[in-house]
Amino acid sequence: MRGIKGDGTAITVMAVDDSPVSRKMIKKALEPEGFQVVAEAGNGKQAVDLYASVKPDVITMDVTMPVMDGLEAASQIKAINSRQPIIMLSPMGDEDIMVEARQRGINEICSKPFKPDDIINSILKVL
Amino acid sequence: MEMNSQITPFVKATIKILKDMLGFEISSGGVEEEKDEFLSRGFSVLVGFAGGWKGRLIIDMPGETAMKMASAMTGEPYAAPGDEEVLLSGAELGNIIGGNAITDINNSNPGLQIRLTPPSVFAGEGMTMFNARVSSSSVLINTDVGQVKVNVAVEGA
Repeated sequence: MRGIKGDGTAITVMAVDDSPVSRKMIKKALEPEGFQVVAEAGNGKQAVDLYASVKPDVITMDVTMPVMDGLEAASQIKAINSRQPIIMLSPMGDEDIMVEARQRGINEICSKPFKPDDIINSILKVL
Repeated sequence: MEMNSQITPFVKATIKILKDMLGFEISSGGVEEEKDEFLSRGFSVLVGFAGGWKGRLIIDMPGETAMKMASAMTGEPYAAPGDEEVLLSGAELGNIIGGNAITDINNSNPGLQIRLTPPSVFAGEGMTMFNARVSSSSVLINTDVGQVKVNVAVEGA
């Protein structure tokens, strides 16, 4: 069970994606390994608003979303907690987007489509 | 039949997603040069793109195939192609296929700066897909759950 920490508690995740199906796919990949998706947000603003009350171990962040995109949300969350691990999860892997993601403090980039091991390994890498 | 080369990144992305994300066995179903219109098989995902290239991608399949693809994505069974989660799965499929294709094109052609529109999904029998001012090319891909048509129209191609 790779989603369980040394103290026996689950690694907590906030899944940020405007697609409910994508959020369901993230949960389907993580929960069998013991990870706990403790919060879901459908856009960047919701993620920023939820963040303080949730404080997950890691955030998976889509890029293209309505209201506030994932890059802006990552910047705002990093301004609250610069040590918060954030993984970008997106089908858009243009080099300019990757560079901007790194500049905004995104810790790891995982492309869609992902296999369960891809996202799990990304999470374990940033913790 | 000669295939418009601009469809290639979209076909490669579709094959990758069907194999890697959904785990389907696939094989080639042939190439079609479309005229102004074609008849949908019952479930169509449309993603537009703009920037250095302007056009749109349609991923078309039977409703039964769409339901099975949605089940492969979420792990849940569905009763009808019009179920909200089947429609959402189609949209996500279009978003991922379009995103991967555009990434490939943008990284191979710096400066094109192509971006996608949000996907639209249509479910229903007898829909005619009509293209104004552009011709399109289609590639058919056979999967374990039915045949998928990848249709791409690029303005000026």
